[in-house]
Amino acid sequence: MDRREALRNVAILLGTAISAGTTDILFSSYTLPESEKNAVNFSAEQLKTLTEIADVIIPTTKSSGGAKAAGVGKFIPMMITDCYPAKQQQSFYNGLAAFEARTKKTYGKSFALIPLAERRKMLTTLRQETLDQKTNKIPEKVDLAYFFTTVRDLTSLGYFSSEIGCTKAREYVLIPGSYDGAYPLKPGQKSWAT
Amino acid sequence: MNLNINLKAENTYDAIVVGSGISGGWAAKELTEKGLKVLLLERGMNIEHIKDYDSAMKNPWDIKHAGRLTEEMKRTHPVQKRDYPYNEATEKWWVNDLECPYTEVKRFDWYRGFHVGGKSLMWGRQSYRLGDLNFSENAKDGFGNDWPIRYKDLSPWYDYVEKFAGISGQNEGLHEVLPDGHFLPPMDLNIVEKSVKESIKQKWGNERLLTIGRTANLTVPHNGRGSCQYRNLCSRGCPFGAYFSTQSSTLPAAMDTGNLTLRPYSIVNHIIYDKDTKKAKGVMVIDALTNKTMEFYSKIIFVNGSTLGTTFILLNSTSDAHPNGLGNASGQLGHNLMDHHFRCGANGDFDGFDKFYTYGRRANGFYVPRFRNVGKDKRDYLRGFGYQGSASRQNWQNDIAELSFGADFKEKMTRPGKWRMGFGGFGEMLPYYENRVYIDHSKKDKWGQSVLAIDCEYKENEKKMRIDMMNDAAEMLEAAGAKNIKTYDNDCYPGMAIHEMGTARMGKDPKTSVLNEWNQVHEVKNVFVTDGASMPSIGCQNPSLTFMALTARAADHAVNELKKGNL
Repeated sequence: MDRREALRNVAILLGTAISAGTTDILFSSYTLPESEKNAVNFSAEQLKTLTEIADVIIPTTKSSGGAKAAGVGKFIPMMITDCYPAKQQQSFYNGLAAFEARTKKTYGKSFALIPLAERRKMLTTLRQETLDQKTNKIPEKVDLAYFFTTVRDLTSLGYFSSEIGCTKAREYVLIPGSYDGAYPLKPGQKSWAT
Repeated sequence: MNLNINLKAENTYDAIVVGSGISGGWAAKELTEKGLKVLLLERGMNIEHIKDYDSAMKNPWDIKHAGRLTEEMKRTHPVQKRDYPYNEATEKWWVNDLECPYTEVKRFDWYRGFHVGGKSLMWGRQSYRLGDLNFSENAKDGFGNDWPIRYKDLSPWYDYVEKFAGISGQNEGLHEVLPDGHFLPPMDLNIVEKSVKESIKQKWGNERLLTIGRTANLTVPHNGRGSCQYRNLCSRGCPFGAYFSTQSSTLPAAMDTGNLTLRPYSIVNHIIYDKDTKKAKGVMVIDALTNKTMEFYSKIIFVNGSTLGTTFILLNSTSDAHPNGLGNASGQLGHNLMDHHFRCGANGDFDGFDKFYTYGRRANGFYVPRFRNVGKDKRDYLRGFGYQGSASRQNWQNDIAELSFGADFKEKMTRPGKWRMGFGGFGEMLPYYENRVYIDHSKKDKWGQSVLAIDCEYKENEKKMRIDMMNDAAEMLEAAGAKNIKTYDNDCYPGMAIHEMGTARMGKDPKTSVLNEWNQVHEVKNVFVTDGASMPSIGCQNPSLTFMALTARAADHAVNELKKGNL
C-alpha cells in the first residue's frame, strides 16, 4: 500500500472527519509549474522600501499607528506574489526597481535611509507622474504608474483590514447585537470597520 | 448470495432524498417526521453546524489576503470567481470548477456548493411568496405551460414553512404580487430608506411601495435558535443559527426523529428504473472519495439535487422505457431554463441626513414589489420586476483627491462619508423551450461522469424590461430628492442570480410537462422533484421559500399515497 492509498483509507475510516478540502490536498497534486510560481522575489532592501512607502501613504497620527505598525510592509509583497498574475507581478516589480534606482541616483542611498520629508517629496512626484500618465502614456513610465497605483491600493486595503486600522483608526464591533438605522452621529465619530 | 441479500436489506429505506440543500433538507424533515426511514444522500462533504463554519468568527485581520482571491483560487475556480460570493472567507462552500466542468454553449455562470446544506448555507435569505398573478400569467400570455396549481393550493404550505423556518418581514396586503405571511417582527428601515418610502407613497400612492426585505433571519429567538446579531457575515455560516439553513433548522429536526441516515460523499449518478413495476426502485451512487459504485433502494425518491443537478440525474437515468431520460416522454426535460436577470438599476446620494449614522450591520435591505404590468399598468414587455437595495453611509469620502496619500488621506478614510442609496432590479425571465441543458458525453468530471451542456440566453422581453428597471429606479430616487442619480446596467448572464429554474416543469398534461401538480414525475409516480427544476415560471421573487412550500406539500402527498398503497 503506497502512502496515497494509506491516506485514502484513513479518510474513509474517519468518514466525514476529514473535509473534502483536506482530502483534495492529500490526494491530488495541484502544484503550479515552478515557472508560474512567484514570478518575483523581493530583496530585504526592497521589503524595507515597501514598508516605508506604505508608512508615508498611511502614517502614524495622533489617534492611531500607521501602515508600518499595522504590518502592511509584509502584507504588500504577500499580496503581490499570491494574488497577482505573473505579468502584473513583474510590472509592479519593475516599477519598484525603477523607483529605487531613481532614489539612489538622487540621494545616493535607498528610500528607507533618506529623511521623511524627502520620502514624501519622492512619492509626491511619483503621484503626479502617475496622474499625468493617464494623458501622457509614456511607455517608460507604465510600470512606475502601475507600481504607485498598486502600492497605494494595497496599503489602504492592508491597513484598513489590519487590527490597528480596524480598531484604532476606525471603530470595530465584533457582535453589534442590534441595528439602529438612525444612530445619532457623535462628535469625532469614526466610521465602522467591516 | 446471502451477502448480497443482506446488503440489499441494509441498503433499503422507505425513502431516498437526493441532495441536502434547502428543498432536500425539507424533504428529509417532512418524511422522517411522518415516520419514514429516510436516506439523505449528499454528494459533497459533511458540514457540522457551527463547528465547521471556519471563518464565522474571524476578524477582518484574521483573513490573510483581506478576502481577496489568490491566483491559485482563481485557477481552480474559473467559474466561481466570476462573481463576489466566492471569496477568501467563503471559499469552502464553492466547488472546484476543474473537478466538475460543464459546457457553456453560451455563457452561463453556474455557481455550486457540494456539501451537506448545499446552498442553504450560502443563500441570500430573501423569502417571498409568489402571488396569484404569478401562477396565472403563463396561461394568460401563453409563454410556458400553465401551472397545475394556484396560490390557494400553496398558501397553507407557505404558512407551514414560514412558521418553522422563521421569516422576518412586514405584511403589506399585496395579494396579487406579494402575499402576506406569518412573519417574525420586521427589521428596521434606516432613516434614509424611511424617507424614500414616504416620498414614493406621496407620489405613487398605492401603486408603488417600499418595504423592509422579508428575510430568513430571526429577529427574535425561534424554535431554539438564536436571533440575528447584525454582523452581516451570514455567508460564512451563522454561529447563532440565526438564519434558516439545513444545518440550523431541517437537519436537526430530521435527526431528532431517529429515522434519518445521512450519507455525505454520495454522488447519485442515476435512478434505477424497474420496468416490471414501472417505478423507480433506487439509485446508483458513486462514492466521491473512493469512486466505488453502490446501489440504494426505496419506495419513493425525492430528487432535490438543485435545478441542474436534478436535471442531470433524470437525463442520465435512461432505460428502454425511458430512452431520453426518466419521465421525459414530453421531451421537456432539460428545457425552459430560466434565471432572474439583475445587475441593473440606479443609485443616488442623499443630503440632509448627516447627523445620522447606522449602528449594526443589517443583513437585509428594502424590497419594492412588482408594479409593472399589474392592474391597469401595461408595458411593451411581459411580466415585471421587483427591486432590492439599501441606503447606507459610505466609508469612502468623495472629496479625497485622486491618488492622494498622507495624514489627511488617512483622516478622511476614517470618517463616515455620504449617504447613498441603490435600487437593483430583479426581473422575471420568460420560459423559452430553446433555453436548455443536455448531456455532453465528450467531457467527463473527476468521477468519470458525463457533464451538462448549457445553452441559455436572455431575449428581447428581458432586454426591454431592463430599460424600465433603470428608469423606474431613477424616477423614485428623483422623487425622493436624491442627487447625482446614475442608472446602470452591468450586464447579466443567466446563472448569475443563482436562481436557475424550470428544467423539469410541472403541468397538467404529461405531453407537455415532466411533473404533475404534486411534483410527481408523470410517468414514474414514486419519483418526486421539488427543487427549482419544477417551476413552470419564476415570477420576479426570490424563489427558495416556494421550493420549501412545494416540498412540504409534495412530501405530505407522497406519504398519504404511500399509506393508501398507491406508490
